[in-house]
Amino acid sequence: MGYEWDFSVVFNDFDLLLLGLLNTLKVTGLALFFGVPLGLFLALLRLYGKPLVRIPVSVLIEFLRSTPPIAQLFWFFFAVPILFGVEIDPFEASVLTFSLQSSAFFAEVFRGGIVSIDNGQWEAAKAIGMDRNATLRRVILPQAITRMIPAFLERAIELMKTTTLVSTISYADLLYQANNIAQSTYRTLEVFTVAAGMYFIVIFICSLVVQRIEHYLGRTGELTKG
Amino acid sequence: MDYVWDFSAVVSYWPLLLTGLKNTVILAATCLFIGLFFGLFVGAARYSSKRIFNWPATVFVEVFRNTPVLVQIMWFFFAFPIISPFDINAFTAAALGLTLNTIAFSSEIYRAGIQSIHKGQWEAAKALGMTYTQQMGRIILPQAIRRMLPAFMNRAVELVKMTSLASVIAYGELMHQAKTISTTEFNPIEMYTSVALIFFCLIFPLTLLVHRFELKDNSRG
Repeated sequence: MGYEWDFSVVFNDFDLLLLGLLNTLKVTGLALFFGVPLGLFLALLRLYGKPLVRIPVSVLIEFLRSTPPIAQLFWFFFAVPILFGVEIDPFEASVLTFSLQSSAFFAEVFRGGIVSIDNGQWEAAKAIGMDRNATLRRVILPQAITRMIPAFLERAIELMKTTTLVSTISYADLLYQANNIAQSTYRTLEVFTVAAGMYFIVIFICSLVVQRIEHYLGRTGELTKG
Repeated sequence: MDYVWDFSAVVSYWPLLLTGLKNTVILAATCLFIGLFFGLFVGAARYSSKRIFNWPATVFVEVFRNTPVLVQIMWFFFAFPIISPFDINAFTAAALGLTLNTIAFSSEIYRAGIQSIHKGQWEAAKALGMTYTQQMGRIILPQAIRRMLPAFMNRAVELVKMTSLASVIAYGELMHQAKTISTTEFNPIEMYTSVALIFFCLIFPLTLLVHRFELKDNSRG
């Protein structure tokens, strides 16, 4: 093990890594911003849509959940320009792919949450004259969402980890920057180790926050109320 | 929307895709078996009250659970060879990353499964004079495994999806074959659609199986 570690090159280019981290967070944030509402929409269609809507939506959700994200990313990156004749840059392809991909997972979280609410809630709402939309909006969703919070946050963390794929279509996220710096400085070991460390710090902190929230919700009984 | 789909190249390159599929399955199976095997030991170490077992296992699990798997694969392919005593090719790097990742995640499943077994089971086994290994092997694990099965199958699903990341370091699995073919044939849409379909056929039956198990488990109470 005669290798001499030299982290100086990493710190010379540290601003590039930080910029990459910022881009990682940007893609993650936007994918969440579009993915969560879309997920709710898909879940409602899957639960209450007519068969003509429900079946294609279910197929779409299962397909997005059962194929590797990298295949989806490549597909959108290469197919959208050809099929629709519009230019799409790596950033747009990334946001598009991860919004859709995460919406499928969020849809299942929403569905699970809605289904978990006791039928009596529906009946009680009906008894006081609420229609389905009002019941969903005022009675079911507010209760379901509290239960879904831990699952949501875990998915969000998964999403952040998955966004590293954008580096394969040359979007300048943290991994892409690390790869670039590593190739120009030949300090692969140091650069990749630091980049992995940065990912670890960000994701670990998020995980700890999620655990705290879960713990808090568990204590207030929000997660176990039948 | 006047694009004309043409799957003829997909058909003529079918043998290459099959090789890719084979390599995908080999990678996934290797990582799954080694990962589940060692996951048990790491899980038991995390459950242990002794610090020399507990601490290193916790650090290992947290590091691998809280970094992106692509970063792990890239690290093993580009960074690790510098300090590694043996040669690393694309398969080894991908297998190392994915196996360690599987160990970390499955150890948490083992730990949760073991924790879910009532303390009285341990005490009763101990009262019969069983050693730790016997308590674990004969009493606790047989009960816990059934509860852990859906979670393990979910891991398998995730793992099959993750093997596609090995294409980034040019391991010749399905995704990589598709990339290679589409750059010579200029048919990315047909190629990636086919690959997505193949993965779907591989993964969806597993997903259905998980659902079946979960339903069965719930009805048992």
